[in-house]
Amino acid sequence: MDTLLLARLQFATTTSIHFLFVVVTLGLVTLLVGLQTAWFLTGNPAWERLTRFWGQLYVINYVLGIATGIVMEFQFGLNWSGLSRYVGNVFGAPLAIETLVAFFLESTFLGMWIFGWHRLRRGVHLALLWGVALTAYASAFWIMVANSWLQNPVGYELRDGIAHLTDFTALLTNPTLGMAFGHVVAAALLTGGVLMAAVSAWHLIRRTPDFALFRTSLRIGLVTAAVAVTLVQGFGFAQFGPVGQAQPTKFGGGPEADALVAEWTARFGPGDYSPPVLSSVGLGFMILIGFTLGCVWLLLPLLWRDWVIRLRFPLWLILFALPLPFVAVILGWIAREVGRQPWVAYGLLPTEQAVSGVDAGLMLASLIGFSLLLGALAVTNWTLLARHAARGAADPALGRPPGAHDDARPEPAFA
Amino acid sequence: MELAWYALLGLFFATYLVLGGYDYGVGLLLARGTDPARRRAALTALGPFFLGNEVWLVAAVGILFGAFPTLEGELLSGFYPAVVGALVGVILVTAGVQLRSRPTAEATRARWDRVVVAGSALAALGWGALLGGLLQGVPRHADGHVAGVTHLATPFAAAAALAMLALVAVHGATFLTLRLPAADAAVVGRLARRLVPVALAAVAAATVLGLLSERVRAAAARPLFAVLLPLSLVAALLVARAALRRGRPGVAFAATGVALALPVALVGATLWPSVLVSTVDPAASLGVTDAAASGPTLRLLGWLALPLLPALLGFQAMCWWVFRGRTDGRAPVYW
Ligand code: HDD
Ligand code: HEM
Ligand code: HEM
Repeated sequence: MDTLLLARLQFATTTSIHFLFVVVTLGLVTLLVGLQTAWFLTGNPAWERLTRFWGQLYVINYVLGIATGIVMEFQFGLNWSGLSRYVGNVFGAPLAIETLVAFFLESTFLGMWIFGWHRLRRGVHLALLWGVALTAYASAFWIMVANSWLQNPVGYELRDGIAHLTDFTALLTNPTLGMAFGHVVAAALLTGGVLMAAVSAWHLIRRTPDFALFRTSLRIGLVTAAVAVTLVQGFGFAQFGPVGQAQPTKFGGGPEADALVAEWTARFGPGDYSPPVLSSVGLGFMILIGFTLGCVWLLLPLLWRDWVIRLRFPLWLILFALPLPFVAVILGWIAREVGRQPWVAYGLLPTEQAVSGVDAGLMLASLIGFSLLLGALAVTNWTLLARHAARGAADPALGRPPGAHDDARPEPAFA
Repeated sequence: MELAWYALLGLFFATYLVLGGYDYGVGLLLARGTDPARRRAALTALGPFFLGNEVWLVAAVGILFGAFPTLEGELLSGFYPAVVGALVGVILVTAGVQLRSRPTAEATRARWDRVVVAGSALAALGWGALLGGLLQGVPRHADGHVAGVTHLATPFAAAAALAMLALVAVHGATFLTLRLPAADAAVVGRLARRLVPVALAAVAAATVLGLLSERVRAAAARPLFAVLLPLSLVAALLVARAALRRGRPGVAFAATGVALALPVALVGATLWPSVLVSTVDPAASLGVTDAAASGPTLRLLGWLALPLLPALLGFQAMCWWVFRGRTDGRAPVYW
């Protein structure tokens, strides 16, 4: 096994796991903002209970997601030192901006939000959640700017083989950015909506207490999912145009692709410039999932008089749909990332030049180590989410009134 | 321009070591004692700051990538074992602190606490080894790449790692002395005082090994700063001890904080104008200016950072202000 293959495998595994966390974070925070804003505006305690219940799931996912994100950030330096050396001047800028503009504030705000319950004024507390959500979107945006630059390098000039930034606005108007960002955000919202609907459906199937609460979140989840799936489809098909133009070799051959390959052969020497078939296999399945989830529109009329709950089988359908968005996002990323091979930066930096000169044995060790670690994190995350979702909204630890906690100072009751 | 960014990078990494340092210090102290209530109280003291501390690391690496791309590649891959070790540690702490209170069974919680202890130790050891490794130089060849990782396996790097571990433990203890309810704080204060001699011994051992190491002597471009490093650490630790004895936990915490921040500044000053000193080919040493991104990138980031820094610091300060003072029965419990 060579270092390059191992490094690619490691990147693919770790980003995919990271993204499973990211979609939930991004989707749930949007819904949470809605819930807490409703609580602030109406003062109805039902909204507070919803905020606490979904907030707890959100926080669990967020904090474990941080752990996966930190691995991502270090991985560029650890395994892809050629990337920072040749294109770091350009590619590094959006990543640096993202950590400063987005992550830094996001986590600071979230810490205050978790611990500020009952302590901060309600308006301030709500503003913190808005801050978390806005910075989360900013973070997704800047990451996508960085990724889109790898897909289609723009706004730079080469001097001594090293890319230097010439035009930052070109990075922001990159044709591979706009529709992709919309698609990713819509996919996250879809995932959040499906998650919310599925957890509520489970409770309604089991006839747990709190019928009213889960009825509300089922409706919110379904409507969100319906709107989001339409956006996902729209942005998804809109991507084919700009991406196909920027990357003629991605979606199969054609005269443009042949011309590009001829040009590359002249500049970089002969080689295999078509991406692995793996990339296009997933694309079809993702689109299939996109249309399957589109059927959520058929369930919306059943919200009338709660038919969706009374009939029960729609609840089972919603529950079974839960894995679909997660599968789709991974497939989509494989299409996008594998489809740009053999380039790290399309037409500019071949992948094999970007990998660090680390010994293959060491790379294998870190691949196994990080895959196991992040895999364990993902499994833990899902178990915890399932357990806390199942526990219901009776008394989540998040936002519990002070003094009411069960275990900070256990009273010796039977002493 | 490069110097300003280099200073900013140092500032972020040093602040991370100070703030993250007490996270890990508190984490290490979880190993002590089996009383679940006391462990929970320690984590409650950390509570609101925990998420905001780690972002300094994320931001430091962001600055490293944006402003010093060449350095980031060579530094992280050149110190692979130390960086991966620290990284695994950071992850274990982040996940462990979040997870330990989700199950309600005390035995499960104790198991997660052991994960936090191990993670805290790994993180401290990893960053210590990285700083020590910088001081002893790397085998960077004329092609610009650092070859191999065995250069890290030296007694000096190990001693630096252990010294960092000890410093972090003292720092965590002074933090708890400052934050816990007064009755519990007295107990931790005594522990902190007992930890100071351990840290002094670790610093002394690292100093002796550094003086004996030919590589360290050769790498230090400004030996004055290198000598200043152990001296100021000793001074800070003694101040902390005296302050603890007089019942001034604020001063003690500030002193141990200085002890964690200073190594970053002094290592940078000792090596200046290089960051990575080559042990095999003096011409292959990486200077700060060569490591920096080109002008347009630095200017762009500069325009961005200028208005942003006050906002970042302001929101962090807001967090410290809102949750200042000792924890009490009304402190929110989540971790
Ligand atoms: C809930 C998840 C989800 C669903 C249902 C879909 N997608 Fe998607 N898709 C993604 C989640 C996603 C993604 C993970 O978010 C990707 C990866 C990169 C990106 O920009 O979005 C993606 C990538 C991606 C790409 C690759 C872009 C590139 O190579 O640069 C195309 C062409 C589409 N999508 C098109 C579609 C169409 C036509 C869909 C259905 C009607 C569809 N996607 C459903
Ligand atoms: C979070 C969603 C993402 C997923 C799931 C993802 C997935 C992947 C996959 C599957 C590969 C391996 C390709 C191969 O096998 O050849 C890869 C490679 C890579 N991706 Fe991504 N990616 C994501 C986002 C990003 C972003 C946002 C960036 C940049 C900021 C990025 C940068 C890279 C780099 C540098 C490589 C290594 C070079 C290569 O093999 O092509 N990825 N990613
Ligand atoms: C499209 C791809 C990506 C998106 C939308 C995205 C978005 C996010 C979001 C919303 C978070 C918050 C935590 C969570 O999700 O649970 C996060 C965490 C993080 N991500 Fe990603 N990310 C992506 C890929 C990457 C890549 C390629 C990197 C590497 C540079 C990265 C680095 C990080 C880091 C360091 C954190 C932890 C931040 C903290 O401490 O708060 N992410 N990401």
